[in-house]
Amino acid sequence: MNCAIKSPAQRRLTNRVLGTLALTVLFAVIAGLGIRFGHLRGIPAYLVAVLPALPIIGVIAAFGVFLDEEKDEFQRNLLVQCLLGGIGGTLAVTTVWGYLEAFVHAPHLPAIWIYPIFWLFVGLSMPVVIWRYR
Amino acid sequence: MIGCTNNPAARRYVRRVAFTMFLYVLFLVVSVVAFTHHRPTGLLAYVLAVLPALPILGMMVVFGLYLREEKDELQRAIGVEALVWSTGATLSLTTVWGFLENFVHVPHLQLMWIYPIFWVFFGISMPMINARYR
Repeated sequence: MNCAIKSPAQRRLTNRVLGTLALTVLFAVIAGLGIRFGHLRGIPAYLVAVLPALPIIGVIAAFGVFLDEEKDEFQRNLLVQCLLGGIGGTLAVTTVWGYLEAFVHAPHLPAIWIYPIFWLFVGLSMPVVIWRYR
Repeated sequence: MIGCTNNPAARRYVRRVAFTMFLYVLFLVVSVVAFTHHRPTGLLAYVLAVLPALPILGMMVVFGLYLREEKDELQRAIGVEALVWSTGATLSLTTVWGFLENFVHVPHLQLMWIYPIFWVFFGISMPMINARYR
């Protein structure tokens, strides 16, 4: 994923991710204000609570579309391997933490953190994957 | 994939998974018995809590080995695609749940469940991808 030379698919991915990030911030503010001041209950409360998650799912979809659109098989493989590194790391952390929660009452890790943890591991696996291809 | 019993990589995969599952049951029994009867504390408690997670991490390594050893490129591609789909689905679910935890206080998602949820999504996506390639 070289920053200097971007394929049309990479450019579209960047635009889509930036667009969904802006929506995440907007929807999170709406949800926060709605829950705090709107006194919502029942289904409307659930709908407003889920609102900020939708653009985040959109980012995942944008990466899926990128994998579909990217013509360069090497770039696609690099990303797939980073994603696999990301999910491997995430599942390892959540499993170990889950057993620590169950047996030694480790503090609860909110489910909202799993998504950033995933991208952290994607970022950590990137240099390893690139180094392996050298 | 696993149905192809004449596939050496798949056979090795099944054998290795069976072994890690055996270790999982063994380690879980050891940990549960230790916590129920001996109430370990300090570092030992942490080690015993993490013990059942280790074979689960082993299962991920075993799947990675399968992907490396599988000679059939199509099967490998299907396996990788199913992993990517289940990654997206798991992250979507945990993100939605995370926002529900935050805003409408749904019950805490135990982290221990994320690993099985991931494989449920894998089990759903695998036959769909298989059907697409037919």
